[in-house]
Amino acid sequence: MFHVERMEQRFDIVVIGGGHAGAEAARVAARGGAKVALVTMLREAIGRMSCNPAIGGLAKGNLVKEIDALGGLMGEATDRAGIQFKVLNRSKGPAVQGPRAQCDRDIYAATVLELLEQEPNLTIVESAVTSLLHDGKAVRGALLQDETRLNARAVIVTTGTFLRALMHSGEVKTAGGRFGEPSAETLSDSLRALGLQLGRLKTGTPPRILRDSVDFSKMEEAPGDAVPRPFSIITDRIPLPQVLCHLTYTGTEAHELIRANLHRAPMYSGQIAAAGPRYCPSIEDKVVRFADKERHQVFVEPEGLQHPWLYLNGISTSLPPDVQDGVVRSLAGFEHAVIARYGYAVEYDFVNPEQLEPTLAVRDVDGLYLAGQINGTSGYEEAAAQGLLAGLNALQLVRDREPVILRRDEAYAGVMIDDLVTLGTTEPYRMFTSRAEHRLLLGCDSVYERLSPIAARLGVLDGERKRRVDGRQERVTRARDLSLNTFLTPDRETVVLLDGMELSISEKSSVAKLLQRPDFNLTRFLDTVSLPGLRAAFEALNEEETEAVVSRLRYSGYIERQEREAAKLSQDEAVAIPAGISYALPGLSREMVEKLSFVRPVSLGQASRIPGVTPAAIAILRMHIRRGVRAAS
Amino acid sequence: MSSAAFDTIVAPATPVGRSALAVVRIDGPRTSAIIDTLTGGPSDQRIAVHRYLNHNGELLDDCVVVRYVAPHSFTGNDLAELTLHGNPLLVERVIAAAVELGARIAEPGEFTERAVLNGKLDLVQAESIADLIAARTTLQAKLSLTNLRGALSTKAQGIRESLLFVISRLEAALDFSEEGYDFISRAEARAKIEEAIAACRSISDTWRRGRATTAGLSLVILGRPNAGKSTLLNRLVGSERAIVTPIPGTTRDIVRETIEIGGLPVTIADTAGLRESSDVVEGIGIERAREAAAGADIVLYLIDATSGRTAEDERELATLDEPLLVWTKNDLAPAPGLAISAKTDAGVSELLARLDALVRDQFAVPESSATIVNERQRQAITACEQSLEVALQSLDAGYEEPIVVVDLYRASNALGVLTGAITNDDILTEIFSKFCIGK
Repeated sequence: MFHVERMEQRFDIVVIGGGHAGAEAARVAARGGAKVALVTMLREAIGRMSCNPAIGGLAKGNLVKEIDALGGLMGEATDRAGIQFKVLNRSKGPAVQGPRAQCDRDIYAATVLELLEQEPNLTIVESAVTSLLHDGKAVRGALLQDETRLNARAVIVTTGTFLRALMHSGEVKTAGGRFGEPSAETLSDSLRALGLQLGRLKTGTPPRILRDSVDFSKMEEAPGDAVPRPFSIITDRIPLPQVLCHLTYTGTEAHELIRANLHRAPMYSGQIAAAGPRYCPSIEDKVVRFADKERHQVFVEPEGLQHPWLYLNGISTSLPPDVQDGVVRSLAGFEHAVIARYGYAVEYDFVNPEQLEPTLAVRDVDGLYLAGQINGTSGYEEAAAQGLLAGLNALQLVRDREPVILRRDEAYAGVMIDDLVTLGTTEPYRMFTSRAEHRLLLGCDSVYERLSPIAARLGVLDGERKRRVDGRQERVTRARDLSLNTFLTPDRETVVLLDGMELSISEKSSVAKLLQRPDFNLTRFLDTVSLPGLRAAFEALNEEETEAVVSRLRYSGYIERQEREAAKLSQDEAVAIPAGISYALPGLSREMVEKLSFVRPVSLGQASRIPGVTPAAIAILRMHIRRGVRAAS
Repeated sequence: MSSAAFDTIVAPATPVGRSALAVVRIDGPRTSAIIDTLTGGPSDQRIAVHRYLNHNGELLDDCVVVRYVAPHSFTGNDLAELTLHGNPLLVERVIAAAVELGARIAEPGEFTERAVLNGKLDLVQAESIADLIAARTTLQAKLSLTNLRGALSTKAQGIRESLLFVISRLEAALDFSEEGYDFISRAEARAKIEEAIAACRSISDTWRRGRATTAGLSLVILGRPNAGKSTLLNRLVGSERAIVTPIPGTTRDIVRETIEIGGLPVTIADTAGLRESSDVVEGIGIERAREAAAGADIVLYLIDATSGRTAEDERELATLDEPLLVWTKNDLAPAPGLAISAKTDAGVSELLARLDALVRDQFAVPESSATIVNERQRQAITACEQSLEVALQSLDAGYEEPIVVVDLYRASNALGVLTGAITNDDILTEIFSKFCIGK
């Protein structure tokens, strides 16, 4: 007999996975002072964009801004890797504007790795986790495939689509979470052993095309904004040159080809049973479900400045390669296209997120957190925002401090996590602005006001960011206050002056009041009227800050009304449900007991949002809690 | 939740309709302030007091005010019960005054819910109260209100669905604006919203009939002294309810009796004869007669056929809105129109037939039509309509979709309250929705 010395290392927090969730979780926890290990199967896969080479977009852009305001890295990495910036929904008001950036995928991943490597408290471990270390009640760390034990008080699992992942391309099935990368086969068992219920989801990718094999002159150009607007408050200017994207369309030829080969598509042959996202259907889905539509838009995205590939956004597919060849070559400009990698669908395990607390902690297993696609979401931004919150909560746990839960009227991230842990999901969950009932309060323009103070309090906002956030706040507040407190009176001189701008006032009006007029031109106004203080206040602002001031004043009535409504609704959020409550209460039907016991809401407000839980059940619960409170006092 | 989290609510605690007395209940922190304003005096320490209720300088009624101070009340909050005269119009006016002073109309079962929330009742007790009330109203119901309500819900649901159609398209235009679709044009959205407003109006227009069905109608008999008003009342009621003498001015206060006309309960009010009077008591009676006529659903104006239309008649008639002219004492003199002789019964059945037709035509609810039958429903439909108007204004002022939909959501939520399909959990709980208003 001989004794093998087991390798053992001690950390505060172990993060499993180096994707967008893992990177945020590891960095924010390390910045907060925790000793963090990030375990990834492949160092260069950290920060990899597995799907399209873009960050942000509608609602997702808000998440990236929230991450930035909370001291995360996604915004900063995007600014450094971005090759086309565009603010979407520009004409639809500030509440729903979403910034988006096409990125150079290699530079993006390299930037994320660089940012992580800069953190002194963060160790990157290149290995695979075979199982979680735990005693059934609390997590103790993770066991690596070389038998090394990483001991930790908290473990954050961010394994994305890699749990028992299966890729489908036509009739061919391959185990793996991403092209050329292995699947995490055994971690699912660890999670199941902890009593977690797992489900199965599906997502897909489109084919990638060799850039040199297409003719861009046959496509529509899709330019970005003339002046790129950075995501991060830390960014002064966008470093990379900006490029064009292109648009092309599918047509009858492609649709007929797809129809003729439907029996070979895994989603239709029955090979895949898992649910895919309704908002991101495969091209075969689109052709079947919208049979009368003559063409479907394809957004052609460069994978990078030098990268030889193009990404065909809009035709995700798992049809066999010969059909993909035909479909791609039917697109204008793609007549001689060469497919560099065929599209495929991925099926993977996810954990039904109703089993998590609003901190993203697994209930009943102290110190175990899940974030990202493992919770049934889709998208880099959704993953990153969860990673950040899981990282913050793990950090708070190891510091023995209060958890961080963002409210629904405070952040899109709060809406998302509440949706996940309350409603669960049956398809990959994506953020939409319509999911946020207090949307007017969640515009990108107010994100630093809303969230940076939280990050500062938690000690994860570095000095430079804090300085910039405070400076921005000061400038914006000054311009806002001066607009509210500068008045024009309808004396002759002013009337004549305003008349030149086709403006008229009949009574004493504040500049804020004038700003509410849809046709008001601020620049012209400041040029015409002699109000040096106000002018200086606005000249100190950049374009984004000016928009923030104007929109806040313009929509103030609506914003204040929504704030009142949110405050009213939040009364029930403050009624905590005791953690150990038994739902076997007189008057509660078995169905209600089951639902409540599965989700185990933390507040009456959360309980009331569980689908199928009736107002009557809430009333009974409310009484029970009140009685308990009274008995205790 | 502390009791401070409650707002102040008001509702009738007795069934809607004619009765000797009616009780209105007010509950919540503003109770004392509302009562003080209405009674014109500061808080009275005594539990039950007789008081005159005035609002905006207008006398509403005299009543008995019973106050309960928290936590010693049915609900556990500050609570007051006003015992009024049993006239639905009075009850409505007192409730409207309370609402103007900061209360809101209670949801069904809300008083009981508060009692439960304050630990004054447990759920089983609350449920048995609900069952009791349900049984009583079942017995009382002469019309199948369930059918009516079903029709109303269906119609409200229809508006709601068309609203959700607009909302979903506007939302799609926000969340999928890059997909190259035109989800809905502003003109299309505008047309849909206007359609919904029109549908709301067609529902609010049913209020008069709906209220008549549940609360009954009021018919006031007016006329100069000795025109035969009391005789007619007695004739219609079938008993010597009002004192009849040949002396003008015998009837001084209003005498009321309820009979059924056209399938609805109609409360007939016999009033003091209209004339210039120096008698203080008679003068008050005449004033009350005029007030009653102003709030009446139907006014019968009696003209003595033996004296014909006098200048006084002309003056009174000019102030009335479409009164039904009835010539009396037809046995003594000929008359140019609808005429009766209460003495010989001539014309009385014709008059009744006329009233029957009038009630059926103007007040009865057509079979299975969408009709609102109470104040809560009326408020809900009004709130929906108002939100839709605001949404339309936002649309016309060029506001973007996220702003426009805010009020569309509000409108659809208001409709949800109307149909009972509540999503806003702090308003109603299912278990309490079985309760009638005010209990």
